Amino acid sequence: MNAKLRRLALGLIVAYVLLFVQLNRLQVFGAEGLNDNPNNNREVVRDFSRPRGQVLSAEGLVLAKSEPVDDRYQYLRTYPLGDLFAHSVGFFSFQYGTDGIERQYNDVLAGQTDEQRLDRVLGGLFDDRVETGDVITTLDVDIQQAAKEALGEREGSVVALDPRTGAVLALWSYPSYDPNLLSSHDFDLVSDVRQLLVADGRKPLLAHTYQERYMPGSTFKVVTTQVALETGVATPGTVFEPSTEWTPPQTTDPITNYGGTRCGGDLLEVFRRSCNIPFAQMGVLAGAEAMVAGAEGFGFNQDVPIDLPRPVRSFFPPVEAFDQDIPKLAQVSFGQNDVAATPLQMALEAAAVANRGVIMQPYVVQETRSRDGSVLSRTTPRPWRTAMRPETAAWLNGAMVEVVNNGTARCCMQLEDGAQAAAKTGTAQLGTDPPLSHAWITSFAPAEAPRVVVTVMVKASPEVSAGTGGTVAGPVAKQVLDVALRNADPLAG
Amino acid sequence: MHALGRRNVELGLVLLGAIVTGGAYTLMALGRTASLPADIGPFLGVVLGLLLAAHVATRLLAKGADPVLLPVAALLNGLGYVFIARIDNDLAGLQATWTMIGIGAYVATLVLVRRPNDLGRYKWTFAIIGLGLLALPFVPGVGRLINGSRIWVSIGPVNFQPGEFAKIALAIFFAGYLVEKREVLAMATWRVGPFWLPEPRHLGPVAVAWAASLVIMVGQRDLGSSLLFFALFVVMLWVATERTSYLVLGAVLFAAGAVLAWTTFDHVQQRVSIWLDPWSDPLDDGFQIVQSMFAFAWGGLTGTGLGLGDPTRIPEVQNDFIFAAIGEELGLLGAAAVMAGYLLMIGGGLRVAMRADRPFEKLLATGLTTILGVQAFIIMAGVTRVLPLTGVTLPFVSYGGSSLVANYVLLALLVRISDVTAGRLGEVPTRPNRRARRWARQEAKAAKAGAAA
Repeated sequence: MNAKLRRLALGLIVAYVLLFVQLNRLQVFGAEGLNDNPNNNREVVRDFSRPRGQVLSAEGLVLAKSEPVDDRYQYLRTYPLGDLFAHSVGFFSFQYGTDGIERQYNDVLAGQTDEQRLDRVLGGLFDDRVETGDVITTLDVDIQQAAKEALGEREGSVVALDPRTGAVLALWSYPSYDPNLLSSHDFDLVSDVRQLLVADGRKPLLAHTYQERYMPGSTFKVVTTQVALETGVATPGTVFEPSTEWTPPQTTDPITNYGGTRCGGDLLEVFRRSCNIPFAQMGVLAGAEAMVAGAEGFGFNQDVPIDLPRPVRSFFPPVEAFDQDIPKLAQVSFGQNDVAATPLQMALEAAAVANRGVIMQPYVVQETRSRDGSVLSRTTPRPWRTAMRPETAAWLNGAMVEVVNNGTARCCMQLEDGAQAAAKTGTAQLGTDPPLSHAWITSFAPAEAPRVVVTVMVKASPEVSAGTGGTVAGPVAKQVLDVALRNADPLAG
Repeated sequence: MHALGRRNVELGLVLLGAIVTGGAYTLMALGRTASLPADIGPFLGVVLGLLLAAHVATRLLAKGADPVLLPVAALLNGLGYVFIARIDNDLAGLQATWTMIGIGAYVATLVLVRRPNDLGRYKWTFAIIGLGLLALPFVPGVGRLINGSRIWVSIGPVNFQPGEFAKIALAIFFAGYLVEKREVLAMATWRVGPFWLPEPRHLGPVAVAWAASLVIMVGQRDLGSSLLFFALFVVMLWVATERTSYLVLGAVLFAAGAVLAWTTFDHVQQRVSIWLDPWSDPLDDGFQIVQSMFAFAWGGLTGTGLGLGDPTRIPEVQNDFIFAAIGEELGLLGAAAVMAGYLLMIGGGLRVAMRADRPFEKLLATGLTTILGVQAFIIMAGVTRVLPLTGVTLPFVSYGGSSLVANYVLLALLVRISDVTAGRLGEVPTRPNRRARRWARQEAKAAKAGAAA
């Protein structure tokens, strides 16, 4: 019988070797595939259970932090200011992932950048502390709060930035949401809240400031003016005959001015009064190629290099779209038809004027720091696009001051302490019945040495449409500019 | 090697096992709570006490026994306890109690069974006990249906799985029966297809016992145990008769049984389709095996570290799936070490069988080792998707009282067989008894007196 016992032993060994081979397949060769399997959330749980660094405002207030809690995930992400920074800081949800800075700077916050990993190795393998990183933003709580209060419960967006650096000071849009509710460990609550937010037609989860496009209306006339001046189609001395309507070629449908008024004069006059007909004519004269090039110089049709997830491109139609369609060219030249811009884009337009023609790359994160306070990265301001010549910018600066002092924004843009604002308003008519319009203003101050750009967009509603860009968006911009100018200039001395 | 040397080896290995268990327990607590376990002192005391009790009992009652079996079993038991404590602290207390009862059963078996060859005489009694135990869960009033399987019995406050003990009883019956009949069973007198079979009347009891146990198993929806019994019967028949045709016949019968079960029973079909493609329903039917594979993958080569994994994602991880928890937290290295532990026990058990000079003891040792080795393989293969999952416990490691106690009895029988074999081979220096010593002294005195005279 012993011979059979040897065979039995051999048989069992073979069976166990088979098992060992399978263990190697599961644990070594196939492990990566299993770890990455979409049904496997172990990596998610591990990342979710890690401490994360803080997100701080420019003045050092905590926008997001991790608090140790006594449950299986160990740390709860909290946002002390509630919905105020939801669209820039984002959320940190188990089921729905991350958004905003939480997403864009996840590696730093979780201590997973190469530099932080190296630090950890050098710091000793058996040191159990977890390396996290802090993110210091350019966002200013006072300015953001002012934007929220000034806009109130009207759907819309407010963008504030420093035109000299591209540092974004505020990104507010209403409605917002409370990221604490999405980052909770009560997953049923999270999924209920998310369902409500998704079902809400006003799209509160979307950062409307840079993830949604609207018809810009007359705020786009800054672009048309730049094109006209730099192509020589118009000069500051060009005089436009006052008229109530103008019918471009290829149509019988005339273009009118806002409110059907008679409007004309020199370039400064038509700019401050925001006549439509002169801009339609300048666009048509300059031609489709010049208009497209001009718009793209300001950032239309480009990926905005902001350090936040999923920014959308602003849209200006391609040259081919105007083949045999001069009326379309006429309409886009005063910001109607299918031009579409994010509020951020229109802020960058004002920034180009304020910064002598150069648009700086917009950013929300000033600096990242390791847990021990050493700087991991610091954002250096860099130019993004040159939209126009300095002399064109200087002329537009003066024209936008005229808008505030004698034009469409005269009602509402007189700043505290005599600071001089510059602005361009827009009342983007959506062509609906009853007629609805978005109210826009894009502005900067102080005009002689601009350091803050504020762009306000209030979405069309019957109430909003009763007013104009100047009367509806203007007061919001003024309040935000007042608060922003109270802050000491970060670049001074 | 002489008996005393074996016992000292065993003592050394047992102490090593206690150190490993204590270390694992400490690391587990550190991993879970980042602090030393408050009860580490008492814990080590109890572990050492239990292991030393088993060792001393072996030293006193089975001097010549194999020195590897007990320490490896103890190590697996200790490691299993650490994982159960890590998974569910309440279960750990119960498992500790069952371990004490298990060690008690080990000692009691060594005390009661002095001459294992005598067990063969009661083979029919054991046959009845075995089948009776298997049928017990069907008895109204005591049988319990738990998790879809009718394998539990409740008598008063005590719940147990009689099947765990039935397999030992049936192994004893088979060894006894085959010893008697192996010659006639090896003699082929009539032919069925390509097979030469012995006379049906000799084969009858084997077939009846086998079929009866299979019917009960299928009725209880306990596929793993069916597979285990089947393997046990075929292996014992093959080893006893030394006829390979039984192995072939076994394979054919197995295939036929498998096809029959697959076509007849939904739950068998379901198990097989989950095995073939767990990814078609990874959140429901395939959830357990998919989570088990994720756990192994997460562990990788070296594991997450004790207490640092997330094994409780797998349903029933303390039971059938404890091997996945080991794979996750100790990695391929730890899982392979556990497999090596079973291989050591298989090697030890088969060595006992090969050394045994009495056919009954040889066959019994073979059967007991087969139970241990095949049961461990079935469940480890199930949780790693080598085989369809069939729920059996991982011997000495899984949570469960019946399994633990039965395996300690099984271990004691192997230890006892190795001890009596060593005695017969003259490896145990027997100390003469008192009367013989007195007689020897008188003889010596007389011889001295004679010399003086």
